[in-house]
Amino acid sequence: MRRGRISERWWALLGRFGLTQQRWGSWPAWMRRLVKATTWLGLGLILTAAFGTWTTSALAVAAVVLLIVVPPWDRLPNIGPYRTGRWIPWLIALGFVVAYPYYVNGLPQLPVFGPFPNVHTMVVAGIFTMMALGLNFVVGYAGLLDLGYVAFYAMGAYVCGWFASEQFAGQHIDVGAVGLQQGWIGIHLSIWLVLPIAGLMTALIGVIIGLPTLRLRGDYLAIVTLGFGEIMPQVADNGNNLGGFNLTNGTGGITSIDGPGFGHGTVARALHLPASYLGAGNLDSLFFWTVIVLVLITIFCSARLRDSRLGRAWIAIREDETAAAAMGIPLMRTKTWSYATGAFFGGVAGAYYSSYNGGAFPDQFLFQISVFILCMVILGGMGSIPGVMLGAWFLAYLDQEGLSNVGGWINSHFNTNINVPNYEFGIYGLIIVVVMLLRPEGLIPSSRRAAELHEGVHDEPLYDVEELNAPLTEPTV
Amino acid sequence: MASALVLLLLFWLAKNAQVEGFAYFMNIALIGVTLGAVYALVALGYTLVYGILELINFAHGDVFMMGGMISATMIISVFNLGAHNSTFSVVAAVAVSLLVAMAGCGLLNATIERIAYRPLRHAPRLAPLITAIGMSFVLEDIAILWKHPSYVQTPSVLPHGNVFSISGVTYTWEKLIVVLITIPVLLALVWLVQRTRQGKAMRATAQDREAAAMMGINVNRTISFTFALAGALAGAGGLLYALYFNEIRYDTGYKLGLIAFTAAVLGGIGNLPGAVLGALVIGFIQAFNEGLTWHSPGSDWTESIVFSILILILVFRPSGLLGEQTPEGG
Amino acid sequence: MSGEPLLQTFALRKEFGGLVANNDVDFVVPEGGIVSLIGPNGAGKTTFFNMLTGVYKPTDGTIVFNGEDMTGKPPHAYTERGIGRTFQNIRLFQNMTALENVLVGMHTRLKSHLVGALLRTPHVRREEREARERARELLEFSGLRGKDSVVGRSLSYGDQRRLEVARALATRPKLLLLDEPTAGMNPQETAEFTAFVAKLRSQEHLSVLLIEHDMKVVMGVSDTITVLDYGEKIAEGTPAEIQKNERVIEAYLGSAAVSS
Repeated sequence: MRRGRISERWWALLGRFGLTQQRWGSWPAWMRRLVKATTWLGLGLILTAAFGTWTTSALAVAAVVLLIVVPPWDRLPNIGPYRTGRWIPWLIALGFVVAYPYYVNGLPQLPVFGPFPNVHTMVVAGIFTMMALGLNFVVGYAGLLDLGYVAFYAMGAYVCGWFASEQFAGQHIDVGAVGLQQGWIGIHLSIWLVLPIAGLMTALIGVIIGLPTLRLRGDYLAIVTLGFGEIMPQVADNGNNLGGFNLTNGTGGITSIDGPGFGHGTVARALHLPASYLGAGNLDSLFFWTVIVLVLITIFCSARLRDSRLGRAWIAIREDETAAAAMGIPLMRTKTWSYATGAFFGGVAGAYYSSYNGGAFPDQFLFQISVFILCMVILGGMGSIPGVMLGAWFLAYLDQEGLSNVGGWINSHFNTNINVPNYEFGIYGLIIVVVMLLRPEGLIPSSRRAAELHEGVHDEPLYDVEELNAPLTEPTV
Repeated sequence: MASALVLLLLFWLAKNAQVEGFAYFMNIALIGVTLGAVYALVALGYTLVYGILELINFAHGDVFMMGGMISATMIISVFNLGAHNSTFSVVAAVAVSLLVAMAGCGLLNATIERIAYRPLRHAPRLAPLITAIGMSFVLEDIAILWKHPSYVQTPSVLPHGNVFSISGVTYTWEKLIVVLITIPVLLALVWLVQRTRQGKAMRATAQDREAAAMMGINVNRTISFTFALAGALAGAGGLLYALYFNEIRYDTGYKLGLIAFTAAVLGGIGNLPGAVLGALVIGFIQAFNEGLTWHSPGSDWTESIVFSILILILVFRPSGLLGEQTPEGG
Repeated sequence: MSGEPLLQTFALRKEFGGLVANNDVDFVVPEGGIVSLIGPNGAGKTTFFNMLTGVYKPTDGTIVFNGEDMTGKPPHAYTERGIGRTFQNIRLFQNMTALENVLVGMHTRLKSHLVGALLRTPHVRREEREARERARELLEFSGLRGKDSVVGRSLSYGDQRRLEVARALATRPKLLLLDEPTAGMNPQETAEFTAFVAKLRSQEHLSVLLIEHDMKVVMGVSDTITVLDYGEKIAEGTPAEIQKNERVIEAYLGSAAVSS
């Protein structure tokens, strides 16, 4: 309602300058895109000139954005069953993302936010994008609030530590690992093997956690997942002496985890693939390109599953659990699948992160991280793949660089002395509150979720309907 | 299964009592009661709010923390208390601090409800839980902004002398005072809920919000009142924490809040006597785990134990020990 | 007309706290039959329905469907075995399109799973295409032609009722449970709907169990009628017999006198 009124006023204002809504609507789509994009980019350029550091490359960036956004790609003929028009702008954008490490240093300084994020930040943002998309399976699709997602991240990181470091010194196993030093000890699997193993083991943990808990009503489930999320780091903290066995190396964490690489095989050499990432000079770029592939796989799985029988079942459960059950959807099994899928990507992301960091430390796995990832999903738009990606990228950027840049800008312009990154989580909390109150569908909403959040859903859990007095009955698997 | 666990627990307690000696065991138990009293004040807030709105007020622990911060400010900056003060001035200062902390936290909690939960009354039921988490983080940062991230140390103004010491069992004044402040607050709560108009309105609203509204009860005001009440209890808890533990930090409320929430669930969420019982049980568990030595996991594992209890209760007996009720009915 | 028993209950009982909602109800729906369940408000009809679909677990008694003991099974098991239902207060997936609603109804009849959905194997693609085709047919059959991509909440009241039936039919039921399907319909819509139910039996060979308040519908379409009052079965018989039954008249008059 409120948004309607704002846009009405907006159009009334534009109408005074002769641009009524009808007139706007009569223009061809590419022209509307041109006007919109030029307006925003012009605004950006003015701000950059005024508050940032002006370079001519700002014009180049604007030109590139115009070139991707404006042309009527949808007019292109289809090739077979594939709609080229839908893919071409995304492919061009992907090309620019892949090339990012080559031109990042030539980019202009943004107003307030300062320089564009460096490649290291982009790697972390990519990893968090994976995690947020993973959480999106649970929160966005199936509508289950998971406050302990960090447990999956931790699990993935430690699996990577177990299978690709010197943690288990008594072992001497090498399966395709790269960059091993003379006299190495421990278990060393290739990171390419560790990633799926970590995903699967984490998914298994997801199932184990999910089976007893997923029949709980939404808010109880949220708290139970939070409980698991709190227990996990404590186990990691104290896991250096589990009946004498050193599983996690305690507060010190598992260090010197192997990096990925393709080894010295003929195929790798023929394709110019790097033998070992850690030894390479452009380490961040290599990790960045790899994470792009991982994110693409995650997007692919998100989209495919959303549009499948399973995805429909998730959405049906989110909308009305009782009706979904009456339509033959096995609630427990279907919820568990969403949990396992979400856990899988959390695990892979965690494993990859620990390989990038070279370690897994218990103090990485705080409740704050769970909320951080949840905030990404909420800010971007629950259930919306582009939304969640935007939210994840933006918040991860804030975490890595943005907040300190903004803080520096504030302090130098207003003569204050605030350590802005100290207030990071309060800022995320504020974002959560503001988004939930004013725009619960997020920045780039999925159309369906938007309607639910504004109109409400039948979300009384199935077993509440029945059991007024008796304790909850046995699980429905 | 459950009874086997309880038997095992009892055996473990008995064995510890034998190993450590009865006096030591009793001293640990007295710590448990003290912890339980603080937890009870916070747990009641969770239970009151859950009873009326079916909302886990995630920010409640942080309201408690703010209560501690307010109390610390009163004790340090306003009254400048220390060991040198006379008994009378300590009593007066603590009483005033208690009232200020209760009023401040009541107002804070009601404000949070007004801003962050009320607009979402008709949204999906997870929406206010999500904003509650957001508010929790906001409160923690307000505390950082106000008091910096390090611990705020409060002087130990409570007397540490013995109330009694019978064959090794010693009960010190500071523990007794915690209980002595808790009990009248609890009695006042019972009176308020059972005897006053506002309390009856709360019970009616908890039973059936629409019916209550039709009978002329101002539902919004009743809910605000419930939040204020819950906040006031948390404020009292915050004061006790600051007095007893002598240090408090921005994240104290998060951990303690989860423990108190566990206590509320253990007793049967929505059930007022249940919350107190659950808090005592959790207090004992924590004290025994950290104090006893014979095969006890130790303080490294306290949180894991508490959260395991939370998970087990929610999974196997979500109605808790005393049963889930409309809060004020019990 | 009516054949072997398709659905039977034996002394089915449901208590909420101390309150007896259904008191030892014995009940039969024969194969190919249309049976109505009537009774004053609060007689326990919907509770009975909810037990027959696994939403409530009976306190006592047995439910046998198609020769199989179904007591205590979860709701999706009932749907799998062939009981489809609608809800008294329409429970569509409000933000899904009509077509998606019907596709959700087909859940138990489709097989694609995680890996298949990810790889979109030819088998999965064919299954999905066929499911969509059949969903469109069902929408058409239920009188929702051309409304495939309208979301649930935007449909008119009558269309929402029709979509609920289409969605229930998508589960390929042997027995269709309709909970007050004509509530809120105007006389013409009601007449159409009555004809539609008759068509379900003749064309789709379904058995139907109907909870209904509109006596015109009940008398017009049912083979047998069961009457519940205060959770007890007080009468059972053909429409003609029920119309003459003294206890039924008393129950209705009594409750009418109280409620109006």
